[in-house]
Amino acid sequence: MKLDAYRRELRGEVRRLARDPVLLGIVGVVFLLLATFIVFPLIKVVQHSLWPQGAFQPRYFLEFFQKTYYWRPLVNSLIVGALVSLCGTVVAFVFAYGIARTNIRGKAVFRLIAMMPIVSPPFLIALAAILLLGNHGVITDALRLDWDIYGLPGLVLTETLAYFPIAFMILEGVLSKIDPSIEEAALDMGASKLRTFFTVTLPLAVPGIASAALLVFIRSLEDFGNPMVIQGRFRVLTVAIYHAAVGRYNLPLGATLAIFMLLPTLMIFVVQKYYVARRSYVTVTGKPSGIGLKTTERHIKIPILIAMSLLSGIILLMYGVVLYGSFTKLWGFDNTLTLQNYRYVFAVGGQYIWDTLKIALIATPVGGLLSIMIAYLVVRKRFIGRGAMEFISMLNFAVPGVVVGIGYVLAFNTPPVQITGTALIIILVFVFRRMPVGIRDGIAQLQQIDPAIEEASSSLGAGFFRTFTRVTLPLVAPAFLSGLVYIFVRCMTAISAIIFVVSAGWQLLTVALLYEVDQANLAAAAAYGYVIIAIVLGAIVFMRFVVGRLFKGGLAPLRGE
Amino acid sequence: MRKWRVLGLVLALAAGMAMGGLAADVLTIYTAYDADQAQVYIEAFEAANPDIDVEWVRLSSGEVYTRLQAEAANPQASLWFGGSNTSHIAAAKAGLLEPYKESLAWQYISPQFKDPDGLWIGLYVGYIGFVSNTEFLAEKGVEAPTSWQDLLKPEFDGEITIAYAFASGTAYTTLAGMLTAIGSSDPGFDADDEVFVAAFSDQVGQYNSSGSAAATMVGLGEFGVGCVFSHDIVKKAIAPGYPVVMTFPAEGTSYEIGGMALIKGGPQLELAKVFYDWAMTKEAQDLYQQFFRLPLNPEAVLAEGSVKATDVNVLPIDLVWYGDNKDAMLDKWSDVTGEY
Repeated sequence: MKLDAYRRELRGEVRRLARDPVLLGIVGVVFLLLATFIVFPLIKVVQHSLWPQGAFQPRYFLEFFQKTYYWRPLVNSLIVGALVSLCGTVVAFVFAYGIARTNIRGKAVFRLIAMMPIVSPPFLIALAAILLLGNHGVITDALRLDWDIYGLPGLVLTETLAYFPIAFMILEGVLSKIDPSIEEAALDMGASKLRTFFTVTLPLAVPGIASAALLVFIRSLEDFGNPMVIQGRFRVLTVAIYHAAVGRYNLPLGATLAIFMLLPTLMIFVVQKYYVARRSYVTVTGKPSGIGLKTTERHIKIPILIAMSLLSGIILLMYGVVLYGSFTKLWGFDNTLTLQNYRYVFAVGGQYIWDTLKIALIATPVGGLLSIMIAYLVVRKRFIGRGAMEFISMLNFAVPGVVVGIGYVLAFNTPPVQITGTALIIILVFVFRRMPVGIRDGIAQLQQIDPAIEEASSSLGAGFFRTFTRVTLPLVAPAFLSGLVYIFVRCMTAISAIIFVVSAGWQLLTVALLYEVDQANLAAAAAYGYVIIAIVLGAIVFMRFVVGRLFKGGLAPLRGE
Repeated sequence: MRKWRVLGLVLALAAGMAMGGLAADVLTIYTAYDADQAQVYIEAFEAANPDIDVEWVRLSSGEVYTRLQAEAANPQASLWFGGSNTSHIAAAKAGLLEPYKESLAWQYISPQFKDPDGLWIGLYVGYIGFVSNTEFLAEKGVEAPTSWQDLLKPEFDGEITIAYAFASGTAYTTLAGMLTAIGSSDPGFDADDEVFVAAFSDQVGQYNSSGSAAATMVGLGEFGVGCVFSHDIVKKAIAPGYPVVMTFPAEGTSYEIGGMALIKGGPQLELAKVFYDWAMTKEAQDLYQQFFRLPLNPEAVLAEGSVKATDVNVLPIDLVWYGDNKDAMLDKWSDVTGEY
């Protein structure tokens, strides 16, 4: 009986799709793109690991557990991930609590500072850590300290600063949405503020905290930029994959390591999405009042304020020292101010700046349109495979950049799709890497728009395209355009997948920056970093201006992942 | 609707800007020189040949070799400019290079500095030296290393920096020196070599991707001792004024021949030959003065302060053997050091 009903439904779906050839065509094209540029590279990774020469021969898979130097980087990555997740979440919670639940001053400034790491070039924080805390750093020398920043301490420090903003954004949302009436009830019944915090506020925030901690864990696991600069001998898996695949051209080994990188991130992604996210208590408490209980007691406020100021001070110091470093003649020895580093960047890296801008300017609108198109299909249309489309398009959210990178090298170096060495492969990496965020935001936006408006357009005789471009797009425009800014920023700052696909004709700024860091040309690296920051800020200001003129609502606030 | 037209115009303009310059007739080069150095040579070439536009990527010599393997089916570049010739020899053995004997330079470069089949040619020679930070030495109360064994001193634990042997010609050349100096001088690993290389790797505080980086890092004081080519030590640590001292192992040091080769199946081989011929001229090789390299064109001028063959004791290293067996040596190196 049940099967029959299912069959009938399926037949209905097929008939509906057949009646709408435009939709059918678009769904087909989208699926073809997703299969080629998301699924196919992953299949290639598995194939090269287990069937390296066509025959089943999982040599490295078996050796992985036998050779210390294969499994150790995974363990190291997990250790770093756990510590960064812990530190990052704690720091983020203090920040989020200070902003969402107290009446301290300067919240806008604190929030701005906390967002800085999100829009900054990948190596900037690690670079700052070396300038300040390296064996010959400013602070190390001033305090005559004898410590070693390279390795685990440096990794935890830099990644905590780089990724706590993600946790902060989640936790700020969670803390400001907790229904204050529950806390009020506890207080009315005579519980102290402290008791209320530990028995009411904290438990209500637990799913949000878990979500934040897991996301930070994933971001730390897949981090490539910071370890590349500061890992010392504490080898992590992303760097091992890069060296195996690009350094040694041992693709079966690289692919095998990539699988061991993929397993934990996919697991965490699934746990986060299907277990933790569903236990959210904040969404079921009804309308968030937005007024929330604000802590006003000084003995709580002041320690929080001090902690926040300290952390903000550290972030500003790091950005400041890199800015200063970019103007010094010979960092550490001749601190005469000079423009020579910027002259060098424009002389050697002028072409990179153009290449990066060109690629970003193509990838940004393409990625934005494709995301909104998929979001539209998923929310508004009914067709077979809709769930699969959503899942596949969101998959790259959980796939680490280095895995995407090695997958693209394996998949697109030979026909039928031979595009290594072209700008196209870089553009494709950007488009498909950044799509999940665009799709997620697009879905959220579309769900708030009454479909009746689009139905009116359809019943007045407009076709699929006309309705999409004339009705839907204008309605989601602010979110769409802020999505564009996000994609552009990530194009300017991405490194992990990109490092695998850059070529002679197409070099990117972040790769040039990595090269200078690797050469220990710290001042030149700092200058590259600030050129990237200038472009990113310029783009944000430009978009805000354009969008502010075009649309009343202005730009939606920039979001991270 | 007007705002959509404006927005469309902006996007179209952006796309148009992006498309412009997608097509150009150019020579693509992989170079193992540091970027600032490559810039000098390539700009000089472009000035002498205004009709040729050079696009280049800086990769360490080991990385060029792997890049050529990766692109064998679809070569992207036509010329490999600079880097230790052990990688060129390995690439020649793997059939990745294009022979070229018709150049003028082929006549006057002596046989030990070129491939008998014309697959690569020598541009310059270089000797491995040790660079030590003098402040570090004073603080630890230790002398700069003057033998390979000295590198194992407990004071240097975690204070040595060098590149990955698979990535950098500097590091692979250093490895060849160690294997020759320690234990029996036969090429390859013997039991003593394994012990030494493993102990040396334990001393290393950080491996880099690029060979010359160690000179700057030691100059900055981030690490105490580095193994780097002497021309890079002079250029990147001594000339800028960092507090460093350069020493050489008394029992003999390792050396490289900096190589150049045409890439088999490269898309612009004719242009590559123009560059190849130019790179061997006195005019081009005189530029090496700026970087303290030892040019192989006998007419080229040597810079003051260069480390010459007569200044150091050189080990009898079979570079061709180390080039031919590079892959096996690197596998062994990974096994011994745990790095890959």
